[in-house]
Amino acid sequence: MLHLAVIIAVALVFLMPLYWLTISSLRPEDDIFRYLNPFNPWTFIPNRLTFDNIVGLWSGAFARAIFNSLFVSIVTVVAGLAVCAPAAFALAAIEFPGRAVIFTAMIVSFLIPFDAIAVPLFYILRSYQNTYTGLILPGVGNGLTVFLLRQFFLGIPKDLREAAMVDGMGWFQIFWRIYLPLSGPALISAGLIMFIFQWQAYLWPLLIAPSNDMKVAAVALAQFATEYHVSFGLLFGGAMFLSLIPMVILVGFQQYFTSSVAATGGKE
Amino acid sequence: MSKWRNFWVAMLFLLPAILSVVVLRLWPALLALHQSLLAPRATTYSLDNYTYIFTDPVFLNSVWVTLLYSVIVNPLQIAIALGLAVLMNNKLPTTGFWRSIVLLPVAIPQSVSAVVWAVAFRPDGLLNSLLAVFGIGPQRYITSPDQALGSIILVVSWIGVGYWMTMLIAGLQDIPRSLYEAATIDGATAWQRFWYVTLPQLRRPLTFVLVADTVANFLVFAPVSILTNGGPQGSTDLVMNEVYTSAFINNDPGSASAATIVLVVLVLVIVLIQFRLMSDKAER
Repeated sequence: MLHLAVIIAVALVFLMPLYWLTISSLRPEDDIFRYLNPFNPWTFIPNRLTFDNIVGLWSGAFARAIFNSLFVSIVTVVAGLAVCAPAAFALAAIEFPGRAVIFTAMIVSFLIPFDAIAVPLFYILRSYQNTYTGLILPGVGNGLTVFLLRQFFLGIPKDLREAAMVDGMGWFQIFWRIYLPLSGPALISAGLIMFIFQWQAYLWPLLIAPSNDMKVAAVALAQFATEYHVSFGLLFGGAMFLSLIPMVILVGFQQYFTSSVAATGGKE
Repeated sequence: MSKWRNFWVAMLFLLPAILSVVVLRLWPALLALHQSLLAPRATTYSLDNYTYIFTDPVFLNSVWVTLLYSVIVNPLQIAIALGLAVLMNNKLPTTGFWRSIVLLPVAIPQSVSAVVWAVAFRPDGLLNSLLAVFGIGPQRYITSPDQALGSIILVVSWIGVGYWMTMLIAGLQDIPRSLYEAATIDGATAWQRFWYVTLPQLRRPLTFVLVADTVANFLVFAPVSILTNGGPQGSTDLVMNEVYTSAFINNDPGSASAATIVLVVLVLVIVLIQFRLMSDKAER
């Protein structure tokens, strides 16, 4: 029980900034800073609750921005898996000349800092400015996802695909009917990585999608603070939503995430 | 002959990924290299941009700050992540939920985290009022040249350690129970079991975490940009922030590209050294 108590204490320390963020978003704007210093019970317990901040958010452009973020993140996960899983399969299961070269290129691609190449990439994709395509594309070519899935696929026994070959299955059937069904947790964890990449993207959406209709939530949120008046109520309300959505997803999928990384970690 | 048939089959599987990695990552990197070799208004390649940034005290300071920051932040985060992983690797009820809580900050946009911490760091903010409970006077955090880098390290660690913890828990779960049982029968203490069983068995996941953490920390941008913008007195001016400042504030794409290339090369060199160090020990 002591062990669990320590775990909970540690988790609460991590949670504290987010807890404070959440209660602040439910307070009238005047109250957000009133009880901060000196420390007192009302610092962490809201004495007046209001939903004005939340309601204010949904009536504005922010609802659209949340939709944009969700749409971009979900399409990226689906398209990214469709692109990366077959590639990982080829790199793990098929022996062909040039495999090492292509694998190295994948590794190098995720060692290149994405934010550092955002500007040259912007010149390449400029014609896609203010489109979903422009927002989604950079999340799809993800060397890290290919690497992660390849590591997992390597753990699937060779005998399985040799037996399938004897039964007359082609490479595509082996991929579709043997490798994919065995890889649920790895696909979920690769999907999570791509979701997070898009959900928290900031610099790229700022460049490629500046119009009001196409803004993603992280950018829209930062703009509550860059105007002449910082609207802390709206800022915290929006931040709360931006944290809540990944929280629901993480709590739901955390066990798959851990078990699939376990499977990729020890094998080669 | 079937070697080449395999090649074409593999290409079918790989084509979309190769295309997107080339167009979306490698080509822009080459563009950055191309631009870094073109001095302003020049038409031939030269190293002028590199000579310029390496004689610019602002850029040299940012390289120094980045190295100092890396030397502190990477070992610190990995030690904390390893401690958390050992603490949270168990089957106690609700542990999964608490793990998710520690993992959560990584999924929140870094701009959001930065805004929340900015309020915590205010002179009348949450951190100072908590310190006052323990009788410690107010600190200046991001407005003090001595504390600003430490404050950034605090924020990025809060964001990142849960992610590395999750990777390491995965590695811990992969260690065969029999190894621990054997060590216990031989009379090993808890510390000896950690040192002689856990750590060597964690070598592969630790390598991955070390490399990925180092890369991630080199690329930290939003917290610096929002909390300190490189200040005060350049004390948090990481190279990534310099790249952004050159490109968008100073409108100097040549210097920005040269700084980008320096950053990428720095990352690649450090990653290579890490792979070397980690694989030299007891290669299986």
